[in-house]
Amino acid sequence: MSTLIEQVLASTLILTTPILLAAIGGLVNRQGGIVNIALEAKMLAGAFVAVVVSAATGSWFLAVVSAALFASVIGLIFSFSVTRARANMIISGLGFNVLIAGLLGFVLSRFYGTSGTLRLPDVQLLPKVLPEGVSAIPIVGDALAALDPLTLFAWLSVAALPFLLANTRIGLRLRAAGNAEQVVRAVGLREKSIQDFGTVFAGFFSGLAGAHLALYSIGLFNEGLTAGRGFIALAAFYFARNRPVQTALACLLFGFLDASQIRLQTAGFPPKLMGTLPYIVVIISLCAASWNMKRKARA
Amino acid sequence: MAEGGTESVPAIDAATPRWATLAEGVLRFLLPVLIAFLVGALLLLVIGENPVSVYQLMLSEGFGSERRFAATLSAATPLLFTAVATAICFRSGVFNVGVDGAFVLGGLGAAVVGYTLPLAFGWMVAPLAIMTAMLIAAFWLWVPGVLLAKLDVDEVVSTLMLNFVALGLAGFLVNSVFLSATSGNNTTETIHDVAELSRLLPPSTLHSGFLLGLLCVFGYALWTHRTPQGFEAALVGFNSRFARSVGISVPATIILVMVISGLVSGAGGASHALGQVHKFSDGFSAGYGFTGMAIALLARNSAIGILFGAILFGALASAGTTVQLFSDIPLDIVNVIEGTVMIFAVVELGKLTLWRRVNR
Repeated sequence: MSTLIEQVLASTLILTTPILLAAIGGLVNRQGGIVNIALEAKMLAGAFVAVVVSAATGSWFLAVVSAALFASVIGLIFSFSVTRARANMIISGLGFNVLIAGLLGFVLSRFYGTSGTLRLPDVQLLPKVLPEGVSAIPIVGDALAALDPLTLFAWLSVAALPFLLANTRIGLRLRAAGNAEQVVRAVGLREKSIQDFGTVFAGFFSGLAGAHLALYSIGLFNEGLTAGRGFIALAAFYFARNRPVQTALACLLFGFLDASQIRLQTAGFPPKLMGTLPYIVVIISLCAASWNMKRKARA
Repeated sequence: MAEGGTESVPAIDAATPRWATLAEGVLRFLLPVLIAFLVGALLLLVIGENPVSVYQLMLSEGFGSERRFAATLSAATPLLFTAVATAICFRSGVFNVGVDGAFVLGGLGAAVVGYTLPLAFGWMVAPLAIMTAMLIAAFWLWVPGVLLAKLDVDEVVSTLMLNFVALGLAGFLVNSVFLSATSGNNTTETIHDVAELSRLLPPSTLHSGFLLGLLCVFGYALWTHRTPQGFEAALVGFNSRFARSVGISVPATIILVMVISGLVSGAGGASHALGQVHKFSDGFSAGYGFTGMAIALLARNSAIGILFGAILFGALASAGTTVQLFSDIPLDIVNVIEGTVMIFAVVELGKLTLWRRVNR
């Protein structure tokens, strides 16, 4: 029998994963100088591809990889619109959100004859990493038993990211492209290609995020599946000012809010109002950061 | 705040002849639309439909008869408001993407006033409801305006986030305090008959909110071309450092355009609540704020462009619905076209560089 704490811990861990994966992509992208508002669309596309491929091949791994690759391609197109065709990144990102949602809806009703939800037979879900026996461990047992490969991958990425961004060639170039585009150009590097890499990276990770949403437990696709998680991810890395570990902690907080929502609801907290908390937190934190900067500038 | 704004200012750019600016505006309006329709055509070809006949059907469904045209104008009505509300900010280089949230909260406010005020108020109910909506929405956008002007908080993020807060707040209110006792979930009571905006061409849903929308577009045109504030606001978008050095207060301008944007969004929400749906329920805005943004971009913030853009997207929405009914073409094609329009409205096709040679 697991206690309430154990259950909340496990569901926090799992609900954090999609937000975290998308946020990792988004923060890398933003370190390279591109604000990616289209994370949501790429998650949605990833979820759709994951369900279709998983049903067709019976392999969760192929499904996850195809979702990530498909979302990467969308990322590349989005990136081209910004880096090569000089589109405003915010508007283009919002445009991609509308376009991709429209395309998916179109495909869904035309080819699958359904509106909104796609159920396919034989969708293989994500496996569990650890044997079932681990749930016997006190407190963290449930969380360990719930652990899936993508969650593991997300946290390993968080652990590796500070090193990758600070000590590898591509990490440094990416940050340089975001902070001093002209310098990058002056030393003879293709700053636009570096930025494209960042956006493809973000696409890859949002594709994984979508695959996790679809294949962790429900095994189906729904037009409202992402439910603004791409924007919560955006909120997370804005809140943490692009620092990987802090972003992960913000994602955990938002995952915890998500996980405790059902329980808070029974305690009388309205879920819709609770759902706005991540967004309010971000606005407040942005204000606090600006306030601090102003104070320092005056001192 | 975006550097350099989004638009050139025709009135300032005196060296270019007027017809050239006009021709460029028309081209920049038509090109993204054309590309979007090509993308739509491609999609139709993929599924084995004849794009020409589908577009013909859409054209006749959008404009074919007085009734169909009225349906188009009816669908264009909320877009007139949201496009003006967006344009007024974009013009000053303020990237306000929060019109949708303001529209929703305004609509809720109008609906609540519309059914709670005692009938003794008579014809006053509708104007009071509209004013309430405008005040609520103006306050809603005043917040990110002040945050940008005083604290330099990025308005894209704050307004984007406030949209979700507005949706959550409205969703909460309509399921608790303002929940209808009679009709179950997610909806308020229906407004009083006296609060309803009058129908203009009875079988269709076209209502006097459309005239209010036209008034907003007209007022916007006057404000941009005939008032000192409108000119100053354009200067702030054009070159904020210059504006500051000639004595225009940039923070005051930012707050001003955000508040006006809120007033217009609120009026739009009220028009939709009082004229179209006669109550507030979840899913009140079908992305009107974002379609309005696409229109403002297409129009390059010009009033006349907004009028044409709103009618275009209104036609798409109303024709898309009937085309879905008669043939097997999903309504989602409208979103595909809208998304493509947004992307290509900001893509600078003339400056497309796919490859830049670098000396290593």
